[in-house]
Amino acid sequence: MLLQLKNIFKWVNSGGQRIFLLKDINLEVEEGEFISVMGPSGSGKSTLLNVIGMLDTFDEGEYNFLDESVHTLKEKHRSNLYKEYIGFVFQSYHLLDDLTVQENLEMPLLYKKFKGSERKAMVADMLDRFNIVGKKDLFPAQLSGGQQQLVGVARALIANPKLILADEPTGNLNSQQSEEIMQLFKKLNKEEGVTIIQVTHSEKNAAYGSRIINLLDGRKV
Amino acid sequence: MLSVVAASKNSSIMFKNYLKIAWRNLLKNKGYTLINVGGLALGMAVTLIIGLWIQDELSYNSYFKNKEKIAQIFQSQTFNGETGTGPAIPRPLEKALRDGYSDNFEHLIMCSWTNDHYLKYGEKSISRPGNYMQRVGPELFNLEIIKGERDGLREINSIMLSESTANALFGSEDPIGKTIKVSNEHDMNVSAVYKDIPFNNSFNDTEFIIPWEKYLANNEWIRNAEDQWGNNSFQMFVQIVDNTTMAGVTNKIKDVKKTLNENSAEFNPQIFLFPMEDWHLRGSFENGKQVGGRIKYVWLFGIIGAFVLLLACINFMNLSTARSEKRAKEVGIRKSIGSQKGQLVYQFLSESFLVVLFAFVLALVMVLLSLNGFNELSRKEISFPWANGKFWLVSLGFILFTSLLAGSYPALYLSSFRPVDVLKGSFKAGKYAGLPRKILVVLQFTVSVAFIIGTVIVMQQINYAKNRPVGYDKEGLIQIPTFSQDFEGKYDLMRSEFIGSGAVVEMSTSSSPTTQIWSNRSGFTWEGKPEGFQEDLAWTEVSPEYAKSLNLKIVEGRDFSREYATDSLGVLINETAKKYLGMPDPVGKLLKDDDEEDPGPPLKIIGVVQDMITQSPYEPVKQGIYVYDRFNNGSYYNLRLNPDQSAGQNLAVVERVFKEHFPDIPFEYEFVDSQYGEKFASEERIGTLSGVFTALAILISCLGLFGLTSFVAEQRKKEIGVRKVLGASIFNVWNMLSKDFLKLVIISCFIAVPIAYFIMNGWLQEYPYRVVLKWWIFALAMLGALGVTLLTVSFQAIKAAKANPVKSLRTE
Repeated sequence: MLLQLKNIFKWVNSGGQRIFLLKDINLEVEEGEFISVMGPSGSGKSTLLNVIGMLDTFDEGEYNFLDESVHTLKEKHRSNLYKEYIGFVFQSYHLLDDLTVQENLEMPLLYKKFKGSERKAMVADMLDRFNIVGKKDLFPAQLSGGQQQLVGVARALIANPKLILADEPTGNLNSQQSEEIMQLFKKLNKEEGVTIIQVTHSEKNAAYGSRIINLLDGRKV
Repeated sequence: MLSVVAASKNSSIMFKNYLKIAWRNLLKNKGYTLINVGGLALGMAVTLIIGLWIQDELSYNSYFKNKEKIAQIFQSQTFNGETGTGPAIPRPLEKALRDGYSDNFEHLIMCSWTNDHYLKYGEKSISRPGNYMQRVGPELFNLEIIKGERDGLREINSIMLSESTANALFGSEDPIGKTIKVSNEHDMNVSAVYKDIPFNNSFNDTEFIIPWEKYLANNEWIRNAEDQWGNNSFQMFVQIVDNTTMAGVTNKIKDVKKTLNENSAEFNPQIFLFPMEDWHLRGSFENGKQVGGRIKYVWLFGIIGAFVLLLACINFMNLSTARSEKRAKEVGIRKSIGSQKGQLVYQFLSESFLVVLFAFVLALVMVLLSLNGFNELSRKEISFPWANGKFWLVSLGFILFTSLLAGSYPALYLSSFRPVDVLKGSFKAGKYAGLPRKILVVLQFTVSVAFIIGTVIVMQQINYAKNRPVGYDKEGLIQIPTFSQDFEGKYDLMRSEFIGSGAVVEMSTSSSPTTQIWSNRSGFTWEGKPEGFQEDLAWTEVSPEYAKSLNLKIVEGRDFSREYATDSLGVLINETAKKYLGMPDPVGKLLKDDDEEDPGPPLKIIGVVQDMITQSPYEPVKQGIYVYDRFNNGSYYNLRLNPDQSAGQNLAVVERVFKEHFPDIPFEYEFVDSQYGEKFASEERIGTLSGVFTALAILISCLGLFGLTSFVAEQRKKEIGVRKVLGASIFNVWNMLSKDFLKLVIISCFIAVPIAYFIMNGWLQEYPYRVVLKWWIFALAMLGALGVTLLTVSFQAIKAAKANPVKSLRTE
């Protein structure tokens, strides 16, 4: 088992009232799964994803990732954990504007303290696999949305994570670009066994996955 | 081991990466970079230049190798409950110290005051300041001998010359063994040439040294002073032996005069060592206690430098945090791909390091360009210490310190963003996020306003003292020194020659210059003198035309007159002396010599003259008497130039007449009003410097404000657009944007005013004659600060207000 959420609650206090963002979520994810999280706006999809990605905290419950209990870990340890095993893909790509494609790809490797020669090889490999060698010296602003998201996925993958978390990865893309990205996810999942959890509004995109989780008002339905 | 190497290699790659990103960031935001780097550079330049100035002040007298062992003998005496301290000591003290305490001193020398003398070789005649010293003087002061012998004062008729003086007299000729005439009178053989004592040192103006024995041989009064404990007319310098301390030696010798000379005991003379290390910076005494001195200016400028740097760093902080929304996304992404907070802090610090590094380079350029001007302003000879390793080391520390000062707060602030908040695009700085920024702006303007007030008050005080009536007419009055025997007995002749030439309307001689008191006397009795009163009177010997030539008003009695032979024993007293002596009706009263064995003739007061300022323009006038000069003691000719002719014409004629009678003496003169102006030089320098630094401080603060407004205008672009569509006028928008900043500056004013009042009031207490602090000075400074703020803010505010709202609204 890759990860396990047990009775997760998350809330905010507003005007003396407790508003639940996540309510009693139980979830087990095996390695190699491709899960789609669906639900209307405000149902807690992104919050759930952020909790799984350890970018956000929760107020109650247990979270085990590869047999480590995340809720008891220190910030530094937690950051080491997700640095090692998790890659993020965002709806609005979130590439670093001041860095070239190549440098964007290299950034996670720097934080993971890979050696220079290794970094070069891994970046070159990734550029090759995603067919973007010719774009390596361009800045994000010089790329189309689809190309930017391609770089975003490549960056998420570069350090060989076990889990990719994608928050509406095709939300800003046209249908053809969406198609390409989803095909890419499917291939990664099938051929390389990368576990993927995506948040999506689109039934079509959800169909790429092996399992669908529906959320409503912070609750699994 | 290997992993350590790998780790350090990795961190250096990280550092490079950070610098790369920082560099691109700087290039992308040129306006912001310009304000940041420019402002910091200005601040650092000010701090650097002040640092150089302080270093220069602290290194005073570093020429002298035994600096910490050298001292001058000082004396404190108490008259009427007031203790005066000074370097003048009596001759018998020498024998007393040599006989009883010689094991404390490595060297001990008697020394004259530094006085101008004529030096003549062949046809060449120049006037230079120099000293008479005992034989070990050159040894004590470590003079660097270029030519001739180290022991150059062995022969009584020898003279040692400074290098520049030797060059002026001899040119390329070898001076050693040549004979020159001193004071047009004494033949002296040049025994040695020493390297000029550098500018930043005591004895810098000692251009020649003559043996002390010659001083004795030439002057009967000095020979007579050998056992006169009351004749405090000499200087003494010592070098203490290695195993003693200044305080230890002082402790042994402090009562030596009192014990050996019972007559002086009533003045409680205290003899002490005044260490060379204190001469320059801690030379003020009050009631016998050392109370600092120039060191206060070192502190003052040090504080100014620190504040200016702080202002510049505040700009950096404010602009960095104001731009945080732009950097927030980056922080979020970096955290989500694995960066830890520490790494981000390190990254932002690297950025500030880069900015500070650029600013430092720019600051160096600024310092180099302004150093000459600064030297002129501050009357210094500071050169840029290129070759000084220590300077560069300190500079590196300075860069790191500034990076930390400017960068720490932004780094901590920026790196603390939570990725979840910023990546969703919902990030907006909270209501109070701007509070630290506001506090920093208030701090900046508090400092600036306080600087403005301080500078205005210093300037006011200077002007106030300058406008103080001096009591005589100093315009069109020149002084010619008459320091040699040649002038003896020639006064009447010269007076008629000068007046006859038409260039001079009146002339007199005096024993001290009009702007100084060279001699003080006591030892008189008079009718109604209180029992035990210890008088102290400024004493000037003058020719009968003194008051006329100076246009000094006689307020009671009459002036000297050549028609009354008895006037040769007459004196004029000033108004302060009239009060001091307690004589409501002084004319006709006698001042009797109280020496019981050999009394001089009594002096009769014939008139009272108006007070004239001879010492500090900030102090009350001292009680003084003007005595008919019976013994040709004149040191200066005072010439009242003909007001109907130009000064140039007059001077040409005066010089011609002078040269006719004294062909061997260089013609030297000084305008009394410019000599008087010298009294303000120190305060004026401080005033000008603090004015310059204040202007820079305000400039830096405004630069920051300018950056902040442009940022706020940018941030609220959309809001402004919406408001304009809804009908807001340009004035409304301007008002909305300016109001916030004006509020901050007003708060600053109210903090700055009491602080400045407190400090400046304390400063003014040092001056008995001082300006009264008026409320409008503070109002003016506040208005000035508000005006400048309004101008700075309005530029951006109006620009934003005039922008077409359609453009800003379309971007979404």
